[in-house]
Amino acid sequence: MKNNTSFLYKPLEDKTITWFENSNKYLVLENTTADILKRLSKGVSVEEIAKALSKKLNVPLDKTIDFILDLEKKIYASKSTKKSNFLNDYRDIEKPTYFEFTKFYKINNLVFKVAFSSEYELYLVHPKFAHLEIENSENITHEFLVFLNNKYVFFYVDKNFIGAWSNKDIHYFQGKFSMELIQKIHQKEEHEWMGVFHASAVSNTEKTILFLGDSGNGKSTSLALLQANGFTCLADDFVPIANKNIHVYSFPAAISIKKNSVETLLPLYPELQNSAEYHFKRFNKIVRYLKPNNTDFYSHLPCNDLVFIKYEKESDLQVRQISKIEAFQELVPDSWLSPLKENAQKFLDWFHQINCYQITYSNNTKMIDTVSKIFKNNIDKN
Amino acid sequence: MNNKEQNNDTISRKEAIKKIGNYSKYVSLTALGTYLILNPQEAQAQSPEAPGTGF
Repeated sequence: MKNNTSFLYKPLEDKTITWFENSNKYLVLENTTADILKRLSKGVSVEEIAKALSKKLNVPLDKTIDFILDLEKKIYASKSTKKSNFLNDYRDIEKPTYFEFTKFYKINNLVFKVAFSSEYELYLVHPKFAHLEIENSENITHEFLVFLNNKYVFFYVDKNFIGAWSNKDIHYFQGKFSMELIQKIHQKEEHEWMGVFHASAVSNTEKTILFLGDSGNGKSTSLALLQANGFTCLADDFVPIANKNIHVYSFPAAISIKKNSVETLLPLYPELQNSAEYHFKRFNKIVRYLKPNNTDFYSHLPCNDLVFIKYEKESDLQVRQISKIEAFQELVPDSWLSPLKENAQKFLDWFHQINCYQITYSNNTKMIDTVSKIFKNNIDKN
Repeated sequence: MNNKEQNNDTISRKEAIKKIGNYSKYVSLTALGTYLILNPQEAQAQSPEAPGTGF
């Protein structure tokens, strides 16, 4: 009997999602195909499965045998593609003796001292957290070091080496920095998180809704509009969900507002007028940062709704419930999902019971009104 | 002669349906072998917003 502990199966609409423990991949399969894999992993012989399939589909046995062998080969091959990690021994890396910038950030009752060896590393991190900056503090709870060595950005937390990233992978350094922050803020290790989603989390006092969409679709702008209209920004861009209660946890970073949204938001946020503008030339982006209105960075709320949002000039407001298979395909490649089996099971269970919507809008008032209805579970689902 | 050859090439509607019917069996097998692989990010990431030469 083959070991079948490395798969998870979850029916979703008319398909079955299959998760592979060895590679942390999710496959969207036809139900019959998932069933074949299930039986193979239970040790049922190819011939026996092929006979049943041949009968079911009224196809000659030799064709179904070929089919199953081919399927087995393809699926098993696809899980062994894990990249080998480039190993390096960083123990000999010498930490700089001088750090050009040292910042102190206060989050809840924690004080983070972060030292940056130069302006380059400072700007990778500081703009998003500048609103949390305090003057020099004596009650430092955690000490982060960020420095450049041999074109790699090195990151240490409380004297422990966390990682090193090249310029090409710098968004992973930023992600890790955020991950270390939430681990300290919420007292949870990496294995206690179900996943981190690239979304905006908007909340009321009871729950939160995740807004998703490709860059440029207006996620952050919608979030800024909503937080000016009675909702709270629980997290922007980096949305962690814990495995224990499947709650979205607060992430204190500022909301990045692209240049072309500044005009829309100025009447609501006059402070944007004079806030610093950052040019990210590599991505052709000019952004300003807006403070989140959340004041309780301990907070965490359940989430049962995903909204794919799109700002489209001159469009009428459209809202509809969308296929979850479609939503799954959008969500997974853009998220970090814990590779642990227990957490993958929780992710599948959570996804199975949430609602997925798509909103296209140009009128801000109508969008806010629609989101309010989703919060009240008062939306026409067609 | 030509006509005869042409007649040999064409088949009746009934025959055509029968022929497609035979192949359509395999269509269901092909559909079963069609699937989508989704890879989550291997590490936590933030939106790519690295400074360029602007700093």
